[in-house]
Amino acid sequence: MANHDWLGLKQELPRRRRLLLTAASFLAPLLVWCVLSYVPWVWHPLMHITDAGSVDYFSTGLDVPRATFFQEVAKAQAAGLDVPQGDRVNPPYLPAPHEVVRAFYTAFKTPPRLQDEPWLHQSLGHSIRTIFLGFFFSSLIGLPLGILSGTYRFFAKLQEPFIEFFRYLPAPAFGALCVAILGIEDAPKIAIIVIGTFFQQVLVIANSVRKVDPALIEAAQTLGASKWKLVSRVVIPASITDVYTDMRILLGWAWTYLIVAEVVGTMSGITLFINQQARYRNFDNVYAAIAMIGIIGLTTDIFLAWLGTVLFPWKKKNRKPRTHTLFPLFDPIPLNPPKRKEVQLEAHVAQ
Amino acid sequence: MSPSEIKLPDYRSLAPAVAARFERIRERPVILSVRDLKKSFGANGSTHVVFDHLSLEIHRREFICAVGPSGCGKSTLARIVAGLDEASGGEILLNGESVAGPGPDRGMVFQGYTLFPWLTVKRNVMFGLQMSGKAPSTADTEARQWLDMVGLSKFEESYPHELSGGMKQRVAIARALANNPRILIMDEPFGALDAQTRAQMQNYLLQIWKKVDVTILFITHDLDEAAFLSDRIIVMGVNPGGIREVIENPVPRPRSPAQFISPEFLALKKRLEHHIHPPVEGEPAEKLPMIKLTDAGDEVE
Repeated sequence: MANHDWLGLKQELPRRRRLLLTAASFLAPLLVWCVLSYVPWVWHPLMHITDAGSVDYFSTGLDVPRATFFQEVAKAQAAGLDVPQGDRVNPPYLPAPHEVVRAFYTAFKTPPRLQDEPWLHQSLGHSIRTIFLGFFFSSLIGLPLGILSGTYRFFAKLQEPFIEFFRYLPAPAFGALCVAILGIEDAPKIAIIVIGTFFQQVLVIANSVRKVDPALIEAAQTLGASKWKLVSRVVIPASITDVYTDMRILLGWAWTYLIVAEVVGTMSGITLFINQQARYRNFDNVYAAIAMIGIIGLTTDIFLAWLGTVLFPWKKKNRKPRTHTLFPLFDPIPLNPPKRKEVQLEAHVAQ
Repeated sequence: MSPSEIKLPDYRSLAPAVAARFERIRERPVILSVRDLKKSFGANGSTHVVFDHLSLEIHRREFICAVGPSGCGKSTLARIVAGLDEASGGEILLNGESVAGPGPDRGMVFQGYTLFPWLTVKRNVMFGLQMSGKAPSTADTEARQWLDMVGLSKFEESYPHELSGGMKQRVAIARALANNPRILIMDEPFGALDAQTRAQMQNYLLQIWKKVDVTILFITHDLDEAAFLSDRIIVMGVNPGGIREVIENPVPRPRSPAQFISPEFLALKKRLEHHIHPPVEGEPAEKLPMIKLTDAGDEVE
């Protein structure tokens, strides 16, 4: 049976296998990390000294390269002196998984070292606010412009050539300008996110709107729709699901600009937290904070995907009742839903 | 015996009842009048003329089918009448008034499925009614009536993707008719359906047409379909393009699939075949230069 083929081309996998593979996609990198961390003879390039022995520049708790350590051991043995003792360890910038997991909890509980430093949740809140405002302002103008540009050749020709040029200018290049114009607080950071998102947004949305089936527009015209009604009642609803997907992707894009934006002016938000923790060599917190960004991003996206199935019921696949629409990411809607049995329906009507 | 060997009546000889019917049709007012229509593609120098001096008059409640080989411009004719394409010359009169651009007075059913996927079946039918400014409650009631007529009341809250191809086209017909158009233009509406569904849809269409005051211009490449549905058939040709013949369909109404083997039907079909696939002298059927790839002993013919 075709169903037993794991590598069937363009073939829908059974649900259980999809879940299994989704889990595997997270577990595989985690497994690599665990092996690196917990299997002592894999990598572990340093020796953590537990007993300095006769070596004068060793001290308990010091990490030294393995080659150096064994040179000293050989020397000490040759001289008949006390041999230093130690364990193989990884460098501090690679904490073990359990340490990072613990940091997820402790990072929130640990008060900042200095009075005016923010807590982790404050840093995260600050970052989310920056992203949200940046994306909001970008969409406020980008969405209508994209729709106009996708609908009318006039607007496409009027704005797209310039936008095509501008989108090649890297947003961080405007950092100094933004600070000069907008100060050092949040305004320049939001501006960087707007610059990074807006131009892509207009082009991507225009493209989705342009893909609307012209036959739908013609059908609407023969039904008496014209001008603005064609746009509001046909072009926009016909492209809304694609535009919604674009917006989801663009929101992810905005996150990638966040770190750059937060360095502009006074460092703030999650970037500030990461930098501080790295300076204190709390690398477990650093990893936890980075992972936190991923988790927030992914959760938002899963939520938005679920919201999409609520907002656009005509896109819902109708084979199964909605039992797991909460996790569309883990159970994606097939791009070409299989045709329903037409015969059954026809028979139904004939009765 | 093949149809060509049977002695068939002249396709132009009409039974008295059929002739009387055409007499009555001719007395009705002209709904659509096409005058000296010209369509050409391309600019200066390399223009390709699809058709020129194409004139045609369609009477109220007449069912006209246009047939022709591909490239004859039958779809182009439909699109120009619907206002979706621009003519290069000539004019279209609807109820004696010149029309340009698409409008709700000329409904259209397309070959592809053009139901709005984001609207339920009922809201699709309501679309045109709302465009003409009807109150939602009125539009709702009327849409239900139309869906009732095409037999899809049970599916009024379904989305188009939940329907079969035939059902989609029935909704499309209801949607176009709900606007109360003077003429319904159908551009190969059943072309994408399988043979069985198509036959069923032809039946549905005739039933609907009987109940509604609407004139139909039906484009098809299926000669059986044209012969089964039409009052008159417009036969179009290529090089030069244009109308070759306008045939009054000799098959009496009401129509039924049993008539597919009636002498009138076969005579009409033969005439249509003659236009669309003219017999080539001396070459009965083209032989493919195929060498035999199988062993003897399993002859298939």
